[in-house]
Parts: sequence; structure tokens; C-alpha cells
Amino acid sequence: MIETGHIALIIALPVALFSAIALIVGIRVSSKRLVAGARFSVFTVSVLYTLSLAIILYAFVAKDFSIRIVAEHASRDLSAVYTLSALYADKAGSMFFWGWLISLFTTMLALQKGDYYQKIMPYALAIMAIVEIFFIALVTVVVNIFEKLPSLPPDGWGLNPLLQNFGMLVHPPLLYLGFAGFMVVFALVMASLITRCQATEWSSGVRGWAVFAWCVLGLGNLLGMWWSYNELGWGGYWAWDPVENAGLMPWLLGTAFLHSIVMLRQRNYLQTWSLVLIIFTFALTLFSPFITHGGIESPLHGFYGSPFPPYILAVILITLVGSLWLLSRRRHAFEKGVKPESLISRESSFLLTNIILVVLAFIVLAGTVLPQIIKALGGTHIALERSFFDRTCGPLLLVLVFLMGVCPLLGWSKSAWPSIKRNLLYTFLATVVMAIGILISGVGNWYATAAIICGLPLLTICVEWYRGTRARHRTGKENYLRAFFSLLNSNRARYGGFLAHIGIILIALGIIASSFYNMEKTATLDIGDSLNIGDYRLTYNELVLKQDNVKVSAVASVSVSRKGHTVGVMRPSYDYWFSHQDHFAEVAVRTTAAEDLFTSLVWTGYDPEDKTATFRVLVNPLIVWMWVGGGFLLLGGVVAFTSREKRLSGEKR
Amino acid sequence: MKGVKKRYLIGGVILLLVVGYLFYLSFGSSVSYYVTVSEFFARGTELYNTNVRVAGRIADSPVDWDAEDLELRFSITEGGDNMTVIYQGAKPSGFKAGSSILVEGKYHSDGMFRASQLIMKCPSKYELEE
Repeated sequence: MIETGHIALIIALPVALFSAIALIVGIRVSSKRLVAGARFSVFTVSVLYTLSLAIILYAFVAKDFSIRIVAEHASRDLSAVYTLSALYADKAGSMFFWGWLISLFTTMLALQKGDYYQKIMPYALAIMAIVEIFFIALVTVVVNIFEKLPSLPPDGWGLNPLLQNFGMLVHPPLLYLGFAGFMVVFALVMASLITRCQATEWSSGVRGWAVFAWCVLGLGNLLGMWWSYNELGWGGYWAWDPVENAGLMPWLLGTAFLHSIVMLRQRNYLQTWSLVLIIFTFALTLFSPFITHGGIESPLHGFYGSPFPPYILAVILITLVGSLWLLSRRRHAFEKGVKPESLISRESSFLLTNIILVVLAFIVLAGTVLPQIIKALGGTHIALERSFFDRTCGPLLLVLVFLMGVCPLLGWSKSAWPSIKRNLLYTFLATVVMAIGILISGVGNWYATAAIICGLPLLTICVEWYRGTRARHRTGKENYLRAFFSLLNSNRARYGGFLAHIGIILIALGIIASSFYNMEKTATLDIGDSLNIGDYRLTYNELVLKQDNVKVSAVASVSVSRKGHTVGVMRPSYDYWFSHQDHFAEVAVRTTAAEDLFTSLVWTGYDPEDKTATFRVLVNPLIVWMWVGGGFLLLGGVVAFTSREKRLSGEKR
Repeated sequence: MKGVKKRYLIGGVILLLVVGYLFYLSFGSSVSYYVTVSEFFARGTELYNTNVRVAGRIADSPVDWDAEDLELRFSITEGGDNMTVIYQGAKPSGFKAGSSILVEGKYHSDGMFRASQLIMKCPSKYELEE
């Protein structure tokens, strides 16, 4: 049974190889039959791959511990859902899963209709097939994902308790979906370059895929932060660790790409720039496993002893050299774009946004790899602290958010001062008044700064929406609600973008508030003791010891009052897991719109007589808005993705 | 047209300078030495009272946890050298004798390393060490 999966995967390798070769040869000799055969073998690869995945998941569900990957990550007592997610807790398993998504996307690509896709399809499929070969080779030739253990262990090692969390269930697949999505965009763009497609054509063709990949990757990163916050017990969500940066960098460049293709479609401007962006975005999606598999030393976490990094690095280099060479050969034939006439125009603000995003990605990359490079060159081994990233990236992020407020108010090509003044003046005044109000109320200076920086773009978007809705209401005799939705519908790409901007602004608000205004306290309490933090008073009432066959849990019950009023009971726990012979804290979080009260039980002696316990308590202001912002990001992505604009390729007829 | 290009150039240069300055400023103050326990002592008193990251393994010697004062006291070892570490806070997950650990903080002339942060260099976060 299990062998079938292994054989299916082994067969998939030459089939994928055939499809790549048949596509390339078929194009050369312009043989339609060969290309059709290759297309068929693309489908075959995904069928074989899916069969193989189904069988390995079956091995997990059936808890077949004779298979190494199952024995290392699953155990008899592991719940069904986490048993499935244990697949991507493995180094080979995660690449296997990612490769499966690529095979799926290749098939979806082969099924796309429209003139543009027909023209470039063989090339795009060939690129996808080559990458697919690499992924299958990693899990069959380099390591064997179906490897059997020499002897059957009585039980598996089990999944790390930290990974048994909703965040870790969805964070890795979302990242891989985003990575695979950007791979499709890359393949499409390169194929367009080979076939000498003009930018106005391909930029429309790849837009949907780019929006999808960007949105999913953004959500994946955010859910990783959510997991870190809710599971790791330190009360933070981002530590600028190399493995975190690994997911952030392609997203930053992908964001820049998404904005630069707007320029392309509207003004045929920034062609080479957009191409370079997608090439490096794709390279960074591959750099991400290079980091998590130990290519860059991460103090926090990662896959231990993975053999993959050298292979991944080789593919990154080949990709970069090949695609940049192709670009340099083609760029002379590009159609001339429309350059902006004025510095104060929407084009310029798009360009500035792009530059800042690229600079951000570069800083993160430099901070991640520099210590390693210095060490490799024989220099001193240094470490960069978090403060490096905070100080360099923080201000740039704020500028970026601020630009979101200015950009929609500027006209294309050239903005006249009077119109800018008219558009910007009132919103700007409103934010300043708001900021002064906050300053006087004495909440804090950083809140005032945050209000100006986040408030301006938020207000701008609202004003834009109000104006558009009012115009429709007046001309179309629609009521305001109808008018609002038909406005959204009229230009989903634009208004989806606005929704995503609201998401980013809310995330920025949460980051600013929780970075500058959080309170933290650690204290050892006995039953009946209290501790005060901010407006809260926490009283330690009881400690209940529970034991099952997985762990011993010490569950504290802490009653919480705010400004003298009882608001509830929180139950953080401190668990000893037999499988890992280690302690893990389960945090308890009380969320309100204004702030989170975060409690973590970090030590207790499991002594029924002496119930002394140490608590770590944090008050994190406005943090819930980060997760709400994620909701807006998703909404914006969906609205922009479903944009039914005229495809340029269809217009030709 | 020419004027716009020139202004772009000036803008670009200013941006680069600002970013470069930010980078330089932060890099200098955020950098700390990353050494193992034996490398630390091999440098004599050079790294005393400066921010460093020291890598080692948690020694077999008893770990002292003072819940009242929230003080954790333990030893790390590497290359035959030992270092006593004091940390204000509870044991992190994965804290066991033999585990790899990174301690971040300053070594004081009284012979104690006062750590501001403990990072478990735990390869088993995702996978078991083989």
C-alpha cells in the first residue's frame, strides 16, 4: 500500500522530465502533438503526486510507524487534525507538500483559457515542470520521503506541543501556497519575456495570480505572528529571527511587484523594474526554505540537519543568472512607456512606495545574511540585535503607511497644487486636530504620532469612498448603501487595494501601540496573592493539577478585575509533556478592543501542598487590531482578485 | 523632462543617504559579539562588561531557581570552560542539562554573567535531534 505512493512519486519524476523536454522540443520543431503530449503529462504528474500525497497522509492517519516521517512526527495519542499537519513539521514533508501545490498549480495553469495564456503556455509550463522536477528530486533522490525504519517502534516521537496549535496548522500551508503562487507569476512573466509579449499584455495576465499569492503569503506571515503570540508565551509576535524574515522578504518584494504592475498596466511604465522585482521575489521564495533548513543559522527554530540548502542555493543562482540574462537580451525591444511629467503625481508616489519596499527588503536581507557572510569570510562572529531592524525598518514602515494616505489624492501624470490642497488639506487638518486631542488627553506622544501617521491614510480612504458614493447617489439615484457597493464593484482592483490598505494601517496601529505602550510584570504568587498591572488586578485563586496519558497540567485560576470591577477568570496552564520530557506554557489571553491582558504561567512545582506559581503578565494595547487588519487584508485580496476587468488579450479581437 | 529627472536623482540620493545613515547608526549600536564559552575566556578580560552572546551547553550542575526573587542561576559549559549565568526569569521550554543555549547579556567582573535574554538553541523545535 505505502509502496504504491513511493512508486507513484518515482514515476512522476521521469514524467515531469518528459513534459519539460517535450515542451521545449515541441516548441522548437513547432509540433502541436508533442506539446499536447507534454500537457497531458503535466496532468499525469499532478495525478501521481496527489496519489502519493494521499498515501502518505493515509500512513499518518493509520499511524504507520514503520515509515520514518510518521514515527518522527506523529504518535498514537496525537489528534487527527494535527496528525495531518505533522507532515509539514518534517523537513522533507514540507518540501513534499510545497511540491504538490506546484504540481497542482501547473495543472491549473495548463487549463487557463484566453489568447494570452495560449500564446505563452508551453514556455510557462516548461518552467513550472523544471521546478517541479527539482522538488520531486529533493524528496525522492536526495532523501526518500517514504523511507522505512529498520525496526518498528512501539510509538512515534509525537508532534512538538508548540506545533499543536491552530496557527501552526494554517501558517505553513499558507506560506507554501503564496510561494507556489509567486512561482506561477514568475513562470508566466518569464514565458512572456521569451515570447516577446508586451508588458501591457502580461501585466493583466499575471495580475490575478499575483494578488492571490500576495494575499495568501501576507496572511500566512500574520498567522505565524498570531501563533508566536498565542503559543510561545513570550507575549510578542515578531523577533526578526532569520526564519521569520524568510517569509517577510518575498512578501515585501511581492508587494512592490503588485504596485509596479499597476504602473505597467496604466502607463506602461517601470517595465524592467517590475521584471527584476518578480525575479527576486521568486528567488526569495526559494531563499526562505534555504534559511529554515539551516542555510542561515537561526538561534530560534528550524529544520535540523537538512541536506537541502546546497541544492536550493544552486537553483536560486541558476534562476537568477538565467532570468536576468534573458531580461538583458529582451529589454531593448520594450515599448516606450509614459513617464510621469511631475514629481507630485500618482506615478511618483507609486515609485516611491516601490523604492521603500525594495529598500526594506534589502535591509532585512542584509541584516539576516551579513553576520553569516562576515563569519564565512573569516571575520569575527557577530550577532545583530532586534534593535537593528526596529530602528531601520520602523521609520520606513511609517513612511509607507503615510504614503497610503497621500497617494490616492494625487492625479495621474501631473497634479495641480490647488487640487492637492483641496484634497489633502481637510483630511490633514482633521488628523492634526485628532493628534492634538490625543496629546492633550495625556495618553502619550507615540499615540499622537500614530494617529497622524495611521489616521491620515484611513481618513483619506474614507473620504474617497464618501465622495464616490455621493457622486453615485446623486447621478444614479441609488441609496447610499447600494451606491457604496456599486462603487466597490465598479473598480474592484482599486477598492480591493484600499481595503488591503486599511488592513495594513490597522496592523501598523497594533504594532506601534504594542511596541511602545505594553506593560510587563513577572511575579511569584501564593494562593490568595494579587498583582497589579495597569488598570488590572489579578488574584491567584486556585491551582488544579490534572494528568492524562500525554501530560501533567497545572491549571491556575486567576480572577481579574479592572478598575475595581470583576471582569472574569483566566486559566493559564503549565504543562509537562511526557513525550518531550519538557514544560510548555499554555497562555490565557483576554482580548478587548483597547488592549489584551496576556497571562502565562511560567513556573510551578506541581506540589499539591505548595501551590506557589510564577506568572508573567502583559498588557498589550490595540493588538487585536492586527488580527482585524488581517481580515481586511483577506477581504481586499478577495475583492481585488475577483476584479472582472477586460483582459487586454480579449480586446484584440 | 530634464528637470524631473534631475529632481528624481536628487530625491534618490537623499533617500539613499538617509537609509545609509539609518543603517550605519543601527548597525553599529546593535552589533554584539557572538562567542562560545571558551572563546569568551580566551580573550581575557576584553569582553567583560560588553554586550555579548555566548553559546554553550547547560551544565549538569544543579540549577538554582529562586521563585521569590525570580532569579535563575545555572552554569553553561563549552570547550572545558564553565560560566555561571544569572537570569531574571523562569526557565524557558527546552531548558535541560545538555541543551544548547545562547545567553545574551554582560559578563561582570564578579565572575557572573548577567543575561538579559536566554535563547534555547533548540534544533528540536520542529524536529528531534538524531
